Amino acid sequence: MNYILFAIRSALADFARNKGRTLLTSLGILIGVLAVVLLTAFGLGLKRYIGNQFESLGANLMIIMPGKKETMMRGGGLMGGIKFDEKDATKLARIKNITHLAPMFAKSAANISANGKTEIIDVIASNEEVSAVMNLEIEEGRLLEKRDIQKGAKVLVIASTYAKKFYPTVSEALGKSLDIEGQSFKIIGITKSKGGGGMGGDVDANVYVPFKSTVVFNPEKKYFAIYFKVDNKENIPAVTEEVKKILGKRYDKDAFSVMEQTELMNSISSIFNIVNTVLIAIAAISLVVGGIGIMNIMYVTVTERIKEIGIRRALGARKNDILLLFLVEAIILSVLGGLLGLLLSYAIVLLIQPLFPAYIDISAVILALGVSSLIGIVFGVFPAKKAADLSPIDAIRYE
Amino acid sequence: MISLSNINKEYKLDHDVVFHALKNITLTIKEGEFVAIVGPSGSGKSTLMHIIGLLDEPSSGTISFGNQQISKVTDDTLSTLRSEIVGFVFQQFNLINKLTILENILLPTVYARKKLDFNPEEKAHYLIKRFGLEGKERSYPNKISGGQQQRVAIARALIMNPKFILADEPTGNLDTKTGKEIIKLLTELNQQEKITIVLVTHDPTIALLARRTIKIRDGEIV
Repeated sequence: MNYILFAIRSALADFARNKGRTLLTSLGILIGVLAVVLLTAFGLGLKRYIGNQFESLGANLMIIMPGKKETMMRGGGLMGGIKFDEKDATKLARIKNITHLAPMFAKSAANISANGKTEIIDVIASNEEVSAVMNLEIEEGRLLEKRDIQKGAKVLVIASTYAKKFYPTVSEALGKSLDIEGQSFKIIGITKSKGGGGMGGDVDANVYVPFKSTVVFNPEKKYFAIYFKVDNKENIPAVTEEVKKILGKRYDKDAFSVMEQTELMNSISSIFNIVNTVLIAIAAISLVVGGIGIMNIMYVTVTERIKEIGIRRALGARKNDILLLFLVEAIILSVLGGLLGLLLSYAIVLLIQPLFPAYIDISAVILALGVSSLIGIVFGVFPAKKAADLSPIDAIRYE
Repeated sequence: MISLSNINKEYKLDHDVVFHALKNITLTIKEGEFVAIVGPSGSGKSTLMHIIGLLDEPSSGTISFGNQQISKVTDDTLSTLRSEIVGFVFQQFNLINKLTILENILLPTVYARKKLDFNPEEKAHYLIKRFGLEGKERSYPNKISGGQQQRVAIARALIMNPKFILADEPTGNLDTKTGKEIIKLLTELNQQEKITIVLVTHDPTIALLARRTIKIRDGEIV
């Protein structure tokens, strides 16, 4: 134990003498750990974010979308295919256990401006049921009502976080107008924020308008999806069958799919998981490269210090003492890189958090330190073994 | 005290060519003796020194220190014995340049396996004083003179209370005057403190200062 402390002290003294070399060698591990930790942080953040988004929509939410479920699960099929119309919506709304049904048209990434400011937000055109389906809660003003829908009134409901991007306060925003792609809409209601970051897909980043008010964007008057809520979880299978039967009369059975939101969430997060794992695996290669850098510099160090090794051996150092001396050095180099990488990723995550919900958990810290010490051991052991196995006589004579 | 009997050392050169570096060496060095081992280069005196210094093992024969006989031991045991039995003084001083004078003197205690019956720091300071190196404790070896470096090396050799000092051409890198001072120091250690000294040299004039000379040529004592 005392000897390990001695080895650590002597390694630190060596690093102090070779600051430049030490930093450059650690840089390899630093970059590797940075890449792995950041990608893990992003992956975790994204997963948690998706989970929150779906949770905020509440239970028993079902979605009818065009396309086969299997293709949708793989992330395809969201575009193109059939579109639904008013006839479908009316028929489906009659199903006994459906409590709320909101057919939707979405104008994605619309330019919304007011008060000299512009934001990119999705416009959801639907009926008065949308508030119940999307779990909207009013903070100021009122939600969309049947009369707004029937008239196709140019009114909208917006989340408080977004309202504040145009007007200083929520109360000031109420009653003011917003410009959607050149069309003027009046803000009639401001909903409570559901939280989350500022990435696309945020439930807050939607404005809700009456379906008929968007004919100019949607001349065919079609819906891209139908969202509905079922009164009870147990009725979901029966309702799904009923929906399939009704829509199956008009469309091919593979042309649309009926999904429960948890199902959709699972399919989306499984895609993210795969992508994230692949990215982390690629980043891990840079850790190996960093390890090779350490191995390389340790071989150089051993060669530079052959004479010193010989002297230590003559004074009574055993092979393992020498092995430990160099192994400790390699591990410190590697862990130093790991720590710096961790600190830097933490700083980056803090900087990026307002824009993206990345976060570092304890497993990332353990991973970074564990992996970097493991790299130190794996790549340090060969040079250290070389040092330990030098013949004391040859080593001490080495010039 | 040091006793070698029928020591042979062979090196395999190529295929079947065997080089006999040492042939049937038998010698005894008593406690408190000052012995010089002399011989031209290539005589086998370095090989003999390595064997006496426990840096190498003989191909055959036995070596013993007091009643401790050493044969066919592991590398670890050999290292431990080196730390307890021998104190080396080299021609090139062989101090570690990145360690201070004090750290260099203390280095053998780091590798000691047995519990030390003295306080290493106290002993190091005593030796520093004894060899006129006061004020140099925190200096680095390359900042002091050759004579001072060799005195540091002698202090390092003495810190573990070895059974003997093995000095390999200790004056080889020093000018004549400084060389004489170092020899004088070794002589003093031998006479006043009864420390056994084995001096390896090719220089007959230095060998004359020892009380006994062992001449070696072509791997044999002559």
